[in-house]
Amino acid sequence: MPALPLDEAGKYVAGAYIVFLVLIVIYVAIMAAKLQRIEKELRELARFAESRATSDQAAPGRGSGTPSISDSLASHGSRGGGA
Amino acid sequence: MYGKGLRPLSIATVVTLAAALYLVFFYAPLDADQGFIQKIFYLHVPLAITALVGFVVGGVFAIAHLRSGDRRWDAYSYVSIHMSVIFGVAVLITGSIWAKASWGHWWVWDEPTLVSFLIVFLLYATYYPFRYAIEDPERQARYASVFAVTAGAFVPLNFLAVRMAQSLVHPRVFATANGGLPNSMLLTFLASLVAIALLWVTLVKFELTAKSASGQVKRLRRALDAPAPGPRSRVAPEVG
Amino acid sequence: MTPSRAAFAAILAKDLRSELRTLQSLPAMALFAVTAFVIFRFGLDRTSLSGSLAAGVLWATLLFAAVLGINRLFVAEREEGGFDAIRLAPIDRTALFAAKGTALLVYLLALELIAVPVFALFFLGSVSALPPLVTVLLLADLGLAATGTLISSMAVNSRARDLLVPLVLLPLVVPLMIAATGATDPLLAVGGPTYNRFGAWLAVLGLYDLIFLLVGYAVFDFLLED
Repeated sequence: MPALPLDEAGKYVAGAYIVFLVLIVIYVAIMAAKLQRIEKELRELARFAESRATSDQAAPGRGSGTPSISDSLASHGSRGGGA
Repeated sequence: MYGKGLRPLSIATVVTLAAALYLVFFYAPLDADQGFIQKIFYLHVPLAITALVGFVVGGVFAIAHLRSGDRRWDAYSYVSIHMSVIFGVAVLITGSIWAKASWGHWWVWDEPTLVSFLIVFLLYATYYPFRYAIEDPERQARYASVFAVTAGAFVPLNFLAVRMAQSLVHPRVFATANGGLPNSMLLTFLASLVAIALLWVTLVKFELTAKSASGQVKRLRRALDAPAPGPRSRVAPEVG
Repeated sequence: MTPSRAAFAAILAKDLRSELRTLQSLPAMALFAVTAFVIFRFGLDRTSLSGSLAAGVLWATLLFAAVLGINRLFVAEREEGGFDAIRLAPIDRTALFAAKGTALLVYLLALELIAVPVFALFFLGSVSALPPLVTVLLLADLGLAATGTLISSMAVNSRARDLLVPLVLLPLVVPLMIAATGATDPLLAVGGPTYNRFGAWLAVLGLYDLIFLLVGYAVFDFLLED
């Protein structure tokens, strides 16, 4: 079977490896969407828990003034602790 | 804790993938027959082997699930099969590209391994509609495990039958990377195989971690008695 | 007779009696096969078939007709509580698998008793291929019965029952079809039956039967758990 000239064959080989790369990137994108959803739900739950804590104990909670992402930058001392 | 070890695993995957790519394009010699096209095999064949092993691994997890009743095995089985199906898409596309480069057609029935793989892929593609048609989660998990075991048993039988169906006029066109290869090519192939296999494991772990996180969110939601989110379209297997 | 064997006989007898009385699946399967042959005659624009084309038309038709029967195999159990009865009875649940599988085998044989002579009438020049074809039919039916019973029992409790059976079953029976057509193709050659790799194909059919009977036997219990 004759070998295709390098520039012709190169296109196919490149195509195959690019397909592989694209599939990986698509997968990452889908996982990113999932991660986004998890983050949204956790944010909702945190807000729910905070509001419940403030209404239950009448103790001043932190409120939603400070963005919770700064919690993740601190060491594991945020409300609820790590799993 | 599924996320544990994910970082070193990912790093190992990236390193081996980079090493393998280097070997493929800068170290492995040019094939005498096929020339540069042969480089596709360092991608296509490891993907195929990994996907097939992944299907069998899914079957093994399914057996563990049936024997123990622990639904975590079912989640492992589901993710293994899921990842292998995705890799399977890559196998079929790269196989098709190779066919076009070698034969001028985007698909050939002459290559028994590719055809066998298509049939296996079609079977496992039915895993999803099959699974999601069963509403009760416990029964869904059990039946899915039965499917995974049956399909796992099917794989070798299928390859045998398709191989036999090959007309004796067309000898096997592409040599598996296992027969009579110069050492440099063998090394490159093995490196690619290890890299792709690591990629599979990493992505499976990644997926399990995401599922576990979802499961923890649900658990938290239940513990807080918080209102449920909008209706989910189907009951996917969970890792709790 | 052990309780399991008695249960097997009872279920099988009930199924066959019920089918004979109501004639639900068999006439439909047979009629479908004959009509499919007519469609092939016009679709392919051929009045005689031989070799691989004949084998393909025959086996594809038999397979699709079989799916009709397989779809309905466990419907009675589902609607009348047969599954619960089996769960409660102190017998080996695999008796249900064996009984239903045997019933399906009988239906397939009955189907072929009608469809194959009609096929020969429509498309074949002579009937000399039919005797060796019987061996192929028997072995293939065994595999089809095993796999069909397994898939049918899985699909019957799901939502899209009628869709799932053909969807999942067809890829699973591809090796069976490859071997069956591989054996049948030389049998239907123009000059009379020839036997190219006949033994090898029968061996593959036997292997398929063995594997799926074993798998069915091993996993059927799990399908009946509640």
